[in-house]
Amino acid sequence: MRRVTLCAVALSAALCGILNADEKLSMSDADKAMYAELLESNPAEMDVAEGEQLFGDLIGSEAYAKVLGVKEKDLPKHIAGFPRYVDSAKKVVTLAQTIQMAAASVGKPVPKLESKEMVKMSAYVKSLANGQKTSIDVKANKHMAEMHKLGQQVFEERRGGRGLSCNSCHSTDIVGQRLRMQPLPDLGAKETAAAGTWPAYRMTQSQMVTLDKRMQQCMKNALLAEIPLGSREMVALEVYVTNKTKGNPISIPSVKR
Amino acid sequence: MRKVMMLAIATLVSAADLSQVIESPDATEILKKDALPAAKAYTMPEGCITNDPAAIARGKYIFHNLNGKDAKENPPEGLSRTLPNGKEKQMGNCVACHNIEGAVGYGNIGPDLTNYKGLYVDSGVRNAQFVYQKIADPRIDNANTHMTVNMTNGLMNEREVCDLSSYIMAIKK
Ligand code: HEC
Ligand code: HEC
Repeated sequence: MRRVTLCAVALSAALCGILNADEKLSMSDADKAMYAELLESNPAEMDVAEGEQLFGDLIGSEAYAKVLGVKEKDLPKHIAGFPRYVDSAKKVVTLAQTIQMAAASVGKPVPKLESKEMVKMSAYVKSLANGQKTSIDVKANKHMAEMHKLGQQVFEERRGGRGLSCNSCHSTDIVGQRLRMQPLPDLGAKETAAAGTWPAYRMTQSQMVTLDKRMQQCMKNALLAEIPLGSREMVALEVYVTNKTKGNPISIPSVKR
Repeated sequence: MRKVMMLAIATLVSAADLSQVIESPDATEILKKDALPAAKAYTMPEGCITNDPAAIARGKYIFHNLNGKDAKENPPEGLSRTLPNGKEKQMGNCVACHNIEGAVGYGNIGPDLTNYKGLYVDSGVRNAQFVYQKIADPRIDNANTHMTVNMTNGLMNEREVCDLSSYIMAIKK
């Protein structure tokens, strides 16, 4: 069972080889072929390239590094540690929120978190840290500790139309079981690497999706009210989920089902 | 001198503004409205479990469908795709977690409910009240359950929980 899960979640061609022929899970053979193809030429690479252009026009890495208070050459390492507490923000922020700060710092219009431009730019900025290990530090200061605690609380709170929580489907005692034909991923597993792999191209949606959007999609499917992007609770969820896969290498954009 | 002062103030303001430009909407109201009421114990109403084919058909429909909008077949008599307020009716989607006779694409988070009467009811391990309570609010039996809550949150009414219980406990071909 565990192996099958790894296959569908990690979607690695090698692992998929051990899937029994009679096990019909969410990945059909056609899906698997498509996945292999997408790995070769990920359509989201285009989005990241556009993000680079947009980011260069709007801010540039020099101004961006200045807002974060780091040297330009240290950006990759610094980016790998997000979400983090940023002094000038006076709170724990996501990369997308630092892009908003940086735009304002150079007197440019501030892009909305929901905008297509922001999705592309934040994917590009995170991709600067490709190859680095996610290095979030939830003990760095009291702000991070607070946000991590809040994130766990939000993750475990049963609510919404069916009284489910994130934990109902992602708790460790349930990982590997199936919701309908869908194996439940272990958000903390190396193969899932949730923190290092989003923004990712979602095959089922034919578009690039950010981690916070992905979490909103889970909320919507399970009848939980969607928590808005950028809210304290959403940032806290990102802190909590990112910390689960701390140490995983960053690889943006990846491909997900 | 005066010019320099102005400039200094302008920079100060813009530095302070950096924290102001971050989008950070307040979600507390949304979460408050979305909160789940405390676990509640229920007593199964009289005449709840029935052999009435119409009730069993409704139970079956609620069990196997996610919501009124996505359902392929039309609902049986006494059940509608929409609520009185026009919104789509949410069904049970029990099949997402449970196998049962004739289930297609079922999940396995919850126990297999196939031959439930024969295996669990006739043997005396389970009874109708247990099934009714489990569906209405599973937290009474298991505070850490991964199962959905169906009545305490207003998703289903008494009759629908009875329809589901009747379906699960019915002898199926
Ligand atoms: C009813 C079940 C259910 C609930 C509740 C649920 N999820 Fe999920 N989640 C899933 C399934 C199934 C997948 C995998 C889907 C896929 O592979 O397409 C998933 C995938 C994810 C992923 C992507 C993992 C990856 O591949 O990197 C994240 C992140 C996630 N969920 C977070 C959350 C959060 C946060 C919540 C609560 C707000 C939540 N989920 C609630 C079922 C659920
Ligand atoms: C998200 C997963 C999930 C969904 C959806 C779900 N269940 Fe369950 N169900 C469970 C789990 C897990 C159990 C095991 C007992 C427990 O933890 O409460 C269970 C237990 C049960 C039992 C008791 C079995 C026994 O005798 O021990 C019944 C009856 C049942 N479910 C019926 C339903 C019905 C009817 C629905 C739809 C309205 C439903 N379930 C939806 C997960 C689920």
